[in-house]
Amino acid sequence: MSSRQSTRPDYFRVFLTFARNSLVRDMMFRTNFLIEAITSLSWAIMNVGFYWIVFEHTPSIGQDTGWGKYEFFVFLGTTWIINALVQAFFMPNCEEFSEMIRTGALDFALLKPIDTQFLVSFRKVHWSSLSNLLLGIGLLVLSLQELAHRPVQPWRLSASVCLLYPLYILCGVAILYSLMTCLAATSVWLGRNQTLYDFWFYITNFSRYPMEIYRRGWGIPLWFVFTFIIPVLLVVNVPARILAQPVSGKSGSEWPLAAFTVLAAAGSVLASRWVFRRALAAYRSASS
Amino acid sequence: MAIIEIENLTKTYRVYQKREGLVAAIRGLWHREYRDVYAVRGINLTVEQGEFVAFLGPNGAGKTTTLKLLSGVIYPTSGTARVMGFVPWERHNEYRRRFALVMGQKNQLWWDLPAQESYRLHQQIYRIPPEDFQRRLDELSELLRVRELLGRPVRELSLGERMKMELIAALLHAPDVLFLDEPTIGLDVVAQHNIQEFLKFYQRERRITILLTSHYMQDVEALCKRVVVINDGVIQFDGSLDEIVDSFSGYRVVRLHLAEGQSAEGLARLAEVESIELPRVTLRCPRGEVARVLARVLEDYRIVDLSVEDPPLEETIARLYENARGENRQSLAAATEA
Repeated sequence: MSSRQSTRPDYFRVFLTFARNSLVRDMMFRTNFLIEAITSLSWAIMNVGFYWIVFEHTPSIGQDTGWGKYEFFVFLGTTWIINALVQAFFMPNCEEFSEMIRTGALDFALLKPIDTQFLVSFRKVHWSSLSNLLLGIGLLVLSLQELAHRPVQPWRLSASVCLLYPLYILCGVAILYSLMTCLAATSVWLGRNQTLYDFWFYITNFSRYPMEIYRRGWGIPLWFVFTFIIPVLLVVNVPARILAQPVSGKSGSEWPLAAFTVLAAAGSVLASRWVFRRALAAYRSASS
Repeated sequence: MAIIEIENLTKTYRVYQKREGLVAAIRGLWHREYRDVYAVRGINLTVEQGEFVAFLGPNGAGKTTTLKLLSGVIYPTSGTARVMGFVPWERHNEYRRRFALVMGQKNQLWWDLPAQESYRLHQQIYRIPPEDFQRRLDELSELLRVRELLGRPVRELSLGERMKMELIAALLHAPDVLFLDEPTIGLDVVAQHNIQEFLKFYQRERRITILLTSHYMQDVEALCKRVVVINDGVIQFDGSLDEIVDSFSGYRVVRLHLAEGQSAEGLARLAEVESIELPRVTLRCPRGEVARVLARVLEDYRIVDLSVEDPPLEETIARLYENARGENRQSLAAATEA
């Protein structure tokens, strides 16, 4: 019973150990690791090919939205970066959280003297998903070089963009993480939640396109719901817009939305903590 | 000093009452019937510092539920419990740093990694100083004789080896209270014995408080002076093993080795004969009658050797469970009539 002082765990070091253990584990099954990385890379390449074809037919998505080919590729790169981060850090953990609730393995997480949501959320890192992060960054670099030669308002790197883009990437990741945690936590009440992935796919599908698409006809209610209630539309749109700076008639309208995004990210994380706590209180644990 | 205090602790689960057949299943989509299942009903228990207590009971008696309540994994329906002054289900980190739970049926170590990687993680989470960590790990792996297995992936270990690794994981932060839920389940006799020896030694050295559930009487006999029998969520008995034997085995087993040529005829008139394999005869004899029966046997038969034993503990415990079940049924019936 030597030292009882400074017993608070060092969260960052715990996270590093999680990351390290995951890497050791991934390297043990290195063929699997390679196959996963190659699969997601080829998916990404097909994705970019598809949009390349789309832009053979039209110069931009919608008239006067400013989302031309390379602006959109910045958007796509941002989508990949955010998805890669979510898939590397949170997807396997949320999936496992749902499974831990069903099998009772959550018992062990509840015994540890550390924040349970932290423990459950960061336990594993899916390193192979980070291959798409590199690809996303590559796509950004190539597209931004093209945009630097844009006839109207050529793209310039500024200090504020360097600061804001990573910040809004983090906000986007936080929103998606919170949504995923809330979905996984429902397993406590449902006993089983196999539709987690489906539901996730349906919702995040909306986040993959510029929000201008929805600002027409019956898209408006969708736009409202996915901006203000389940704010998935903000996830990619806000950072992509900050970086690509599409030239449209309504320039400058992004700042209220950007301010709201910070609030939405903070609110989502708080909401996920609330749902998580409720789930732990209702946890029944499975039989011995 | 009482380290565990439980008062009127009750846990009920609301379960969906399924009915047979398709029509009923479809009706169940709208109209669900629930029923309350009592896992633990109003138990009271006090455990002193340094005690090694066994929880005995048939499957579904409420043993594991009690341990889960005391570990703060689940919330009770009513009642209170305090362990070292903490309310377990408030899940204070100070509390969680001072106890451990080992479950024979579940594992907490990373399956694909060597156990030592999981231990490093424990070191960080519990913030164990490096020198304490190394000393404890050396000591525990030495005692359990698994030092050379620390670097092998957990999935390649045998069940017994894995259990030892789980025990090390639970003890690295030097808990003051240890809950063991069937730690020897599925293990062979040797592994079971090793773990018993280890637990005995460790508990004696450290004077920690241990609550153990097990279905193996050998565990209980080897380790615990105090036994709590729980059945249908109620504590049926709380005392020493000897007391259980005294109060619940109504008879003793008398083994006779007859002299050569001596027939066993007539023994059945003295006591119930369990088996005859001449020259050996085994009798069952009500407790109060042992002396009278032995006197008659010695008088009428030529005997080479004899012994008087308690019946096997398993049998006694089974009788205790049966008794308890009967009583519960009676008290339930009385309650519904009233």
